[in-house]
Amino acid sequence: MTKPKRENNEMLRGTLDMMVLRTLVTGDAHGHTIAKVIERSSEDVLEVEQGSLYPALHRLEDRGWVSCYWGNSENNRKAKFYHLTAAGKRQLTAETSRWRQMARAIALVMGEVVGETKAEGGQE
Amino acid sequence: MSWRRYFRRHPKDEELVKEIDLYLAEEIDENVAQGVDADEAKRRSYLKFGNPTRVREELWKMNSIAPLETFLRNARFAWRTLLRNPGYAVLAIVTLGLGIGANTAIFTVINGVLLQPLPYAQANQIVHVDQIAAKLGPDPIGLSVAEVGDLRGQSHVFSEFAEYHSMTFTLLGGKEPERVVTGVVSNNYFIMLGVKPLLGRLLIPADEVMTAPPVLVLSYAYWMKQFNGDRTIVGRTFEMNDRVHTVVGVLPPLPDYPDANDVYMPTTSCPFRSDPAMIANRDGRMLTGYARLKPGVTLAQADIDLGEVIQRMALSYPKSYPVSAGLAPQATGVEQELTHAARPTFLVLLGASGLVLLLACANLANIALSRQMQRSRELAIRMATGASQWNLFSQLLTESMMIALAGGILGIGIAAVGSKLLIDYAAHMTTLAAGIRLDGRVLLFGLGISLLAGLLFGVLPGYVASRIRLTSLSDAGERSTGSGSGTRMRNALVTAQVSISFVLLICAGLMLHSLYNLLSVDPGFKTGNVLSMHVSLNWTKYQKSDASRNFFHQTLDRVQALPGVQAAALSMAVPLNNDMGPMNAGVLIEGQPVRADEPLPQINFAIASPDYFRVLGIPLLAGRSFSTSDSASAPFVAIVNDRMARHYWPHESPLGHRVAVGSKDKKTWASVVGVTSDVRQYGLDKEPADTIYFAADQSGMNNGALLVRTKGDPLRMTNQVAAIIHEIDPQQPITDVRTLEQLRGAQLGTPRVTSMLLGLFASVALFITIVGVSGTLALSVARQSKEIGIRLALGATKRNILSNALTRGMLPVLIGLGLGAVAAAFATRVLARMLFEVKPDDPGTFIAIALLFLGVALIGCIIPARRAARVDPMIALRTE
Repeated sequence: MTKPKRENNEMLRGTLDMMVLRTLVTGDAHGHTIAKVIERSSEDVLEVEQGSLYPALHRLEDRGWVSCYWGNSENNRKAKFYHLTAAGKRQLTAETSRWRQMARAIALVMGEVVGETKAEGGQE
Repeated sequence: MSWRRYFRRHPKDEELVKEIDLYLAEEIDENVAQGVDADEAKRRSYLKFGNPTRVREELWKMNSIAPLETFLRNARFAWRTLLRNPGYAVLAIVTLGLGIGANTAIFTVINGVLLQPLPYAQANQIVHVDQIAAKLGPDPIGLSVAEVGDLRGQSHVFSEFAEYHSMTFTLLGGKEPERVVTGVVSNNYFIMLGVKPLLGRLLIPADEVMTAPPVLVLSYAYWMKQFNGDRTIVGRTFEMNDRVHTVVGVLPPLPDYPDANDVYMPTTSCPFRSDPAMIANRDGRMLTGYARLKPGVTLAQADIDLGEVIQRMALSYPKSYPVSAGLAPQATGVEQELTHAARPTFLVLLGASGLVLLLACANLANIALSRQMQRSRELAIRMATGASQWNLFSQLLTESMMIALAGGILGIGIAAVGSKLLIDYAAHMTTLAAGIRLDGRVLLFGLGISLLAGLLFGVLPGYVASRIRLTSLSDAGERSTGSGSGTRMRNALVTAQVSISFVLLICAGLMLHSLYNLLSVDPGFKTGNVLSMHVSLNWTKYQKSDASRNFFHQTLDRVQALPGVQAAALSMAVPLNNDMGPMNAGVLIEGQPVRADEPLPQINFAIASPDYFRVLGIPLLAGRSFSTSDSASAPFVAIVNDRMARHYWPHESPLGHRVAVGSKDKKTWASVVGVTSDVRQYGLDKEPADTIYFAADQSGMNNGALLVRTKGDPLRMTNQVAAIIHEIDPQQPITDVRTLEQLRGAQLGTPRVTSMLLGLFASVALFITIVGVSGTLALSVARQSKEIGIRLALGATKRNILSNALTRGMLPVLIGLGLGAVAAAFATRVLARMLFEVKPDDPGTFIAIALLFLGVALIGCIIPARRAARVDPMIALRTE
């Protein structure tokens, strides 16, 4: 696997916080799981760069959108689990609706072509 | 930016490391589960994750405060650099510490005296109203009771007009009889000042009525000193002037202004002020006024208004306001009166110490510059590896700031000690000195000038360093820096230093010259071995002049009989005692015409007992001294001084002529029986005036000064003399016990300390400058040893090299002296008022100081110049 192309990466960055929050809706998770879930659910189109994941988590924690605690991972290792707080949930709702509007607007502008370019960028 | 995050950087980082480890472990597990072998799984996981250190750095940066980070890094680096070079660090810190200490100490005084608000409400509205006789002399002549009433009633510019005068009375009822300095004031005096009582009450209108029971208000200092702050003092009674006075209140701490009054009483309690004759006498000017200006009224407006009132008075009472006297009331700001003596001196001293600090900064900048040249390679390497100019600049600035702050802390310590000495000195000039202390403002000032000093001596080297070219990494580059901008800057610095220290030296030279003139002034009498004391008789007890004459006769006879006493005399005032101004009177001389429309010519008059001239060692030039036969019933006699004799009898002897003081209508003729030499009675810097002495027995005297010439230490006789006086009258207080030598010393104290401080600053300045001159030349010689070697090899003589080096060293000195002379010509004008018999542009001082400077600078230059001449061309050429 190689690193995603620059353009993708930038798009990801803007929305990484939102996606992390989204991941946590289904339950508390540690960093590895969060990255995996994002990658899996995007059908491996998006690759979470670790260099931005951990600072993003740190930022979210700092803003009070996630809280964290130390627990045991599935493989019984000490892991830092992140938990979506009430403030985080509100933030997620706001971000999601904004994202929907944005995506719709972009889709309207781009028309048919959108699907093709997206598929091209991620596959290898 | 968040401080909370900043301080939790380390635990956060540790957490992150654990998280990363977990991520990698999970990823490896996952890979292994997919069937990849262990090593490959590990490789892939690391590959996927990327650089863990980068992630950690990113988070670390997110949690950091960038400027603080940079600052701390710079500070740590500077700390290490200075530790490696402790000599430089100590030198710099001590130099700055002394400079900052001197500045802060002087600022402490300025802060306490000039910047602190007076403890009165809106002190800038309070003025002192007095009257001067413009055509007779500059000294205020005071106001009479009637004039105070007119000014209070007719002026429009004051919201309160209070009357004031100060006298000494005997207070009975304490532990022992005491002479107390008493402020005699109108009942609105404290209201005018805006002062609230600490205990009890202050004066009210009902106190200032002739039939009211006498009351007293104690000053804070007297209450603390005499009654240890006894809070039950209100209501206690004391006897003064044969009447019972009740204490009604205590004042808060106030400056000793207008006088160091122990107690205050209303005008009606003062037997002199409330005498009907005094109240009626428009010419009895013994009072002065203090008033509060209405809001928005300026001093100039007040003077105009006062002028109009006095004009009306002059129209109504022409006899009391002779045109020839030029009587005019004047209002002076109280703030100005309190500080005018100290202000110029301390501002000059602050200026001088500021210049010394500036010089010290210049020297440190100079040293730092030469260190920069040595470090140019290091700096170039740091630039090559990515440091920006700003990085280098801020780095070097941090270094100088650290030194400056350390110097500042040392300086504030020095100031805390030094200001104690300065306070005593300031006390000679202003009564506000008692309130001087090290407060927050002083600390802020110390800190401020430390930072300023750090900036001053850090910016220049920092600037030079940040312009270092990468070429200095090569050998050629390093050599060229020696003659580059660094050296030019150093020479400019030296020039500036020379001119500044020249100005300081000139100022100090003028002050020392003036002090020398003062020291060599002959007061006209011998100050050694004379004890003086004031014996002010209780006027109610000695109302008859026979009684007081009797008292003084007994005292003189018995003191003279004491073993160890050579002679004793009585006079009205002690020479050189500053407490009393000149006693002036108009003089009439029999046979010499008096112009009707002009006031009588003014002379000083004094009263002396027979042995007065012998005790003081004043030579008698003609005739005889007073004798015991010059009694009250004998014909009146007088002695004039030499100046007066030459003035009024230029072609003949004054002996046998008759003189009188007083007015044309009321006069008593006295014949001149002797002529004495001139005496500086009222100050070493005051020219002797025309003086007439009258015989003690022929002039009623209640307040006397006893002068005793002793064989040994005069102060040792104090107790015996006091014992004699107390045997004669146990209730008689004795005050102001001083030797004449002490009085002379007190006169010299202020100029002596001023010149000493200025001299100290100037010599430090000279030293600093010469170090700069010599050091700059030494460095440039060291840098050019190769060039010198080549020139020697090509046939230059040692003389050539020596003179070349000397020229280069002395050139900035000569330029600096030229600039300094111009600057000094302006700067010394500030000193003009502090100088005695020296002009501020005294050419002798200028030339002498310039020669001194040149000589010292030449010595400073010869040492490195000789080193240049001693360069061995073989070694110089080979070493590089």
